[in-house]
Amino acid sequence: MTPGLAAGLRRWGVPLVWLGLLLLASLGMAELEAVFRWLEPDSREVIYRRTEFLTLLGRHLLVVGVASLLAIVAGVGAAVLVTRPFGRDFLPLVAQFASMGQTFPPVAVLALAVPVLGFGTLPIIVALLLYGLLPIVRNSLAGLQGIDPAVHEAARGMGMSRGQVLRQVELPLAAPVILAGVRTSVTINIATAALGATVGASNLGDPIISGIVNGNTAYIVQGALLIGLLALTVDSAFERLLGWRRIRFR
Amino acid sequence: MIELFDVTKRFGSETAVDGISLRVERGELCALVGTSGCGKSTTLRMINRLIEHSAGEIHLDGQPVRNFDEQALRRRIGYVIQSTGLFPHWPVARNIGLVPRLLKWPRARIQMRVEELMSLLGLPMASFADKYPHQLSGGQAQRVGVARALAADPDILLMDEPFGALDPITRDTLQEELRDLQSRLHKTIVFVTHDMDEALRLADRLVVMDAGRIVQQGAPLDLLRDPADDFVASLLGGDDRGFKEAALTRVEERMLPLSPRLIARARVHREATLRQALAVMFREHADRLTVIDDEDMPVGELSLRRLVGARPHE
Repeated sequence: MTPGLAAGLRRWGVPLVWLGLLLLASLGMAELEAVFRWLEPDSREVIYRRTEFLTLLGRHLLVVGVASLLAIVAGVGAAVLVTRPFGRDFLPLVAQFASMGQTFPPVAVLALAVPVLGFGTLPIIVALLLYGLLPIVRNSLAGLQGIDPAVHEAARGMGMSRGQVLRQVELPLAAPVILAGVRTSVTINIATAALGATVGASNLGDPIISGIVNGNTAYIVQGALLIGLLALTVDSAFERLLGWRRIRFR
Repeated sequence: MIELFDVTKRFGSETAVDGISLRVERGELCALVGTSGCGKSTTLRMINRLIEHSAGEIHLDGQPVRNFDEQALRRRIGYVIQSTGLFPHWPVARNIGLVPRLLKWPRARIQMRVEELMSLLGLPMASFADKYPHQLSGGQAQRVGVARALAADPDILLMDEPFGALDPITRDTLQEELRDLQSRLHKTIVFVTHDMDEALRLADRLVVMDAGRIVQQGAPLDLLRDPADDFVASLLGGDDRGFKEAALTRVEERMLPLSPRLIARARVHREATLRQALAVMFREHADRLTVIDDEDMPVGELSLRRLVGARPHE
């Protein structure tokens, strides 16, 4: 094994183990039939078979990925804009809007979004986007505003343009704090995305909703297990990423 | 050469700098001194346009600074601040090479220049190039700050209380190094400080500011001997002013040739200051000193009367 690969494995070992477990559980849920039979002795069917778990996992990831990507672009973008000289007046407004997004329960957003956007994936993406915005905006603001004013002063004084200061100084220095916000946002959204199943966005929430409707605990456990493993995989990957950034310049 | 013509800066209704005129000659180190809030930092930052002046004109080698592109102007002016402002995510060598990189110098030339500056400022390349700012002591960090300011070989250097946050011993060393550097590089330097000893030690010209105006300017010795008013006098140390004056004159400028009298036991080096000579007299309870050179050979003598400059008939 080359040293690079060994170091990579050491760094990414934990997330890889979670990822392995996640894939194993998605592909081999049927192997655990005995366990679920014990959990749910009276049902005719104890393994959720309406859709492949792997397909559900893919759709789940897609919804969370799209919503998080939009939240990152909107959140970091808004934080950058309101920390520029021309946008400083909007700082309180943006901070307030983002906290409002978090106080609005995703269920309520779904209920309001469905009549406008129809059933399916779109309303859940909107709900996740709004819900995931706050941690990203809040952390981006904290990261950008937490930069030592002397560093900013020196950067300008040395003759860097505002764009160069942003790209070469502000964003790299704020990155660990911003990433921590993204991590919170994505992890929360992985769990919250399950609600999408109630408005017809098929994902890992399907077995849970179906289990609740049919009174089948085994289905609920299967959906919850996969969502939990997915959240752990992504969260531990972020943890590695953050630790690695910290070592570089703290 | 830097010239300020009737320059004013207003922040809202407040006037921070009130119609000052100033001329800093090429190769001169000009110290702006005064109490905090007197407008000295504002004046400095107007020169590289980190603050835009409200009225008047600022010229650089005869050209109004407003005619320059803001970034281009700053890239040809070195800038050193008290808290260094080094980029914490960049190693030392990259921090120093910042302005040459902004000026798009070729890589090899940047590398050479960084090496040259690091050895000039006593930062061995091997042990410092890859260090991050948080791994440096205060004095080392400020050396890097000075190296970064000198990187693109600017004619002009602006220094805003560069040694204000350092311990007295490190400050002393760095002041000495700056004097040494200046005697070789002959930059045009504007230096803001509230440490009067530092200003007296380094400056070719002293500019005393109060409430946004220039109260007095001139050579350090002239100000010490003839302060314009009580404010300048108290800023220059009040009754201790004499000691500061004594610290600006070397023994060899006052000593007399050896007299036929018995040689004095207490000795002082010819390049020591009168202040140090006075201290030796006090310590040795002597009113006469033998002046020696680098080889410990007596080259002259200095009496207390002669030291204080008493006229013969008094």
